Amino acid sequence: MTANLTAPVARKPTTNAPSGPRRPPGRARVRAAVHSVLLAGLCLLVLVPFVWMISSSLKHDNQVFTVPTQWIPREFVWSNYADIWTQIPMLAYLRNSAFLAITISFLQVLTGSFAAYGFAKLRFPGRDWLFLAYLATIAVPWQAYMIPQYLIMEKLGLVNTHLSIILLQAFGAFGVFLMRQYYQSIPDELIEAARIDGLSEYRIWWRIMLPLSRPAIASLGLLTFVATWNDYMGPFIYFTSNELWTVQLGLRSFVGQYDAAYAMIMTGSVISVVPVVLVFLLGQRHFIQGIATSGLKG
Amino acid sequence: MTVTPETVSSTAPALRKRRPPEPAAGTRRRSLRPTLTGWSFILPNFLGFALLTLVPMVFGLALSFMEWSPWGDPEWVGFENFERMFRSSTFWIALWNTTYYAAGHIPLTIVVSLGLALLLNRTLSGLGFFRTAFFLPYVTSLVAVAVVWNMLFNPTSGPVNQFLQFVGVTDPPGWTSSTAWAMPAVIVASVWRDMGYYMVLFLAGLQTIPTELYEAARVDGANAWQRFRNITLPGLRPTTFFVLIMCTVASFKVFDLIVVMTDGGPGRATKVLSQLIYEEGIREGRFGLASAISLVLFVLVAGFTVLQFVIQRHREDR
Amino acid sequence: MKRYPSALAAIAAASAVALAGCSSPASETVDPSAPVTLTVSAWNLDKTPEFNALFEAFEAAHPNVTIQPVEILADDYPEKVATMLAGGDTTDVLTMKNVIDYARYANRGQLLDLTDFVGGLEKDKIAGLEPFDIDGKYAAVPYRQDFWVLYYNKKLFDEAGLPYPDHLTWAQYSELAKKLTSGTTPDGQKVYGTYHHIWRSVVQATAAAQTGGDQLSGDYEFFSDQYALALDLQNAGAALDWGTAKTQKVNYRSMFETGQTAMLPMGTWYIAGIKAAIEGGTSSVEWGMAPMPQISSGGETATFGSPTAFAVNEKAKNVEVAKEFIRFATGEEGAKVLAGIGVVPAYGSDAVTAAFTALPADELSRTTFTENKKVVLEMPVSDVTSDIDTILNEEHELIMAGQKSIADGIRDAGDRVKNEVL
Repeated sequence: MTANLTAPVARKPTTNAPSGPRRPPGRARVRAAVHSVLLAGLCLLVLVPFVWMISSSLKHDNQVFTVPTQWIPREFVWSNYADIWTQIPMLAYLRNSAFLAITISFLQVLTGSFAAYGFAKLRFPGRDWLFLAYLATIAVPWQAYMIPQYLIMEKLGLVNTHLSIILLQAFGAFGVFLMRQYYQSIPDELIEAARIDGLSEYRIWWRIMLPLSRPAIASLGLLTFVATWNDYMGPFIYFTSNELWTVQLGLRSFVGQYDAAYAMIMTGSVISVVPVVLVFLLGQRHFIQGIATSGLKG
Repeated sequence: MTVTPETVSSTAPALRKRRPPEPAAGTRRRSLRPTLTGWSFILPNFLGFALLTLVPMVFGLALSFMEWSPWGDPEWVGFENFERMFRSSTFWIALWNTTYYAAGHIPLTIVVSLGLALLLNRTLSGLGFFRTAFFLPYVTSLVAVAVVWNMLFNPTSGPVNQFLQFVGVTDPPGWTSSTAWAMPAVIVASVWRDMGYYMVLFLAGLQTIPTELYEAARVDGANAWQRFRNITLPGLRPTTFFVLIMCTVASFKVFDLIVVMTDGGPGRATKVLSQLIYEEGIREGRFGLASAISLVLFVLVAGFTVLQFVIQRHREDR
Repeated sequence: MKRYPSALAAIAAASAVALAGCSSPASETVDPSAPVTLTVSAWNLDKTPEFNALFEAFEAAHPNVTIQPVEILADDYPEKVATMLAGGDTTDVLTMKNVIDYARYANRGQLLDLTDFVGGLEKDKIAGLEPFDIDGKYAAVPYRQDFWVLYYNKKLFDEAGLPYPDHLTWAQYSELAKKLTSGTTPDGQKVYGTYHHIWRSVVQATAAAQTGGDQLSGDYEFFSDQYALALDLQNAGAALDWGTAKTQKVNYRSMFETGQTAMLPMGTWYIAGIKAAIEGGTSSVEWGMAPMPQISSGGETATFGSPTAFAVNEKAKNVEVAKEFIRFATGEEGAKVLAGIGVVPAYGSDAVTAAFTALPADELSRTTFTENKKVVLEMPVSDVTSDIDTILNEEHELIMAGQKSIADGIRDAGDRVKNEVL
């Protein structure tokens, strides 16, 4: 799944992939069946909201709330999926969200892993205090410093530009934190050896740390992508022009204006979720590969 | 915004009490070069971080002792903002609600995500599918989550109450339109959303427990519960600790989900501290008061985190 | 308190003067033909046709000016504008969605002083100017003056064989609503006798306007009867229950336009909405308008309303053009444009009334619109308005959702206002 799996795996490469306690056959088969049924049931329960979302998105507005609930639409209104593109500029919203999410994830991973190397593998005065500052900010709610932050952005003339959100989110503490934690799980001996070989710190980061931390990068990238894609307050405060709006703003605005268009709202919700799910599914394979190839091989 | 603590992912091991190797005394030279190199790594991120997070935050802290709005000069007022805050009944209600949310969200999330991780921590077909399915809520946008859950919790025609009536509950709760049930409804939605994320962390933790331990325990005749109690739980302790901290920070900062689902209502039944900060700061323009409330929230979160560290350390020292 | 529409009833003798005043702005010193882009804050452009109508008319009259709307989501409008102003935003013209927000911005000095400018306008023709007077100073001019009326669905009344709701008392209204609750729409939705939207003003501002109660006082006994009525209708199933309306974000427009309710107390801004819906083919409702029901019959109609205004940002880049826009929008030309799409302009004259063609042709609707009535400001303006507004809103939610008794809710609202605000 995500690279969250990977840090511990990298630390203990001896333990292998998911394998529960082995049991004798026979009764075990019954147990396995029960287990599978249980999982499938839970899974269904968890997915209920999605089923509801998709099913509602294919109905007429007035069929969304019926007693009893229709889980399968009487009539499939596929036209919702055609109409939404003309009802609101969905394509432009998707493009804006994708641009922001990709740019921010890239910058976050780049500067985050760079700084993390400094925090994890280099010693210099002030380092720990600095890291503590990073850590402390995680516990402060954003609402507390939103206004001073906005004032600075306004002074820089960046309000109502995509750059404002990019700057705001690309240098967050969490990328540094995550990458540092991962780097700490990489043995110092490896770095020492590289230093003895005459590699500069920058080369060590580029040639050794980055390739080694691919799962962490994938994980950070995915999480940043998801967070940016789903962010509402940031774009709400910084983007005034409709051309800059992201999917979340567009969807919220749609809900605000067409509050009875239940089916269309669900259509919009489904469309807003699809890209993130795709990125996640693509990433998932990569993480698993990352897990398999990580460790000390580099 | 983006830096939600839930997203501050993973890597439980690093929070273990694990001292970095101290350099030998001789190598601790106060040379400028390592300092420069170190800073050169940190600088690109730090510039952005300092300007757009650290400075505004320190500024916000100072504001809690000031009466200030951008259309006037700041004025030092000492503890006036705090006095005002303690007099406000909404503050106490929001504080209680925040605690209530945390008290429901943290244990439930941990139990559910650990349970899921245990179920998934074995070889079975469709493993990838299950993991994806359980993780799916976490990547779903909040606007969609809120809309869907509000529809599911619809008191009259929502599927949840239809189900409850089907199983014989004659007077199902009013959920988000009832003061007693609004918070549970929000907690259910939030647990649903977050469990996949923490499940992944627990899965990672489970994989660090050597299989041999289970084999040995089975040879000794330990049953499933004993194995869970004596091998799994201790083995997971670092992960649990990390998850606990992350979950605590996230719980106390809860904002978006509540705003989109109930907007703090009905009345003040689900109003939480971060929402109060937003309302006082942005809507009413009382930055000083808003900053004072955020300072309380910060102390609260920091206090809990430190407490957990102390408990953890105490346990390890035993 | 504001008498409406003394201006509307007046003969437009001065319309020529108004036009003359419009075309000769004395303070214009910059080259009037230089191209200018004027920014104006607005909300939900698609659903609020008045903005584009005004913008297009102004651009047609001033070819050198391009208006760039700054569109903001209606629900979040006050927060967003507050944030923008806090950061020193330079949007030229700011639309004041209500007087409460106006007071906030004006008290913080974020709006340009327009006292002299207002002095040059025909004040007696602009309804709803009074609440914008803060200590003798004006920082905004209303272009729209809405008041609350009772919309009704003629077809549902005809089917039930009941007379249209002409000057009702609340008791008659309640009885009528219960009688009208029957059957379902062609889509299978339940038909209610009336629909009360979730806003607190539906109950509280109505009570204040008709009993003379003061919403800033902290004594809210005068809400009692109106709450009793609202809850009774809801419990009898004659009105959609508040909890459902709130959690489902039910839209009063769809309730009325799809025939799910026979009556609907709502502001006159909705006239333009119905007109657009019928013209756009999304609704075929046969509608009419009656005065708001009253406590007792025979007296002058009392209702509440609120003006919508334009202000100039203290940091505006194009002050002169902004003032010119406000002069246009709040004057007769703008008023005609607004009347043409069914929006009630603040500026009143016969010409404007004649341009108001969106009304149904029946006598009752016309009387509702033109009769002399007492229009009380929705919420009095003062520096404690917004705090009290928050409290009243929270207690309103609790009473309507059945979480508190009427007496408890009213008592708690009063206690909180007295202890924490006043």
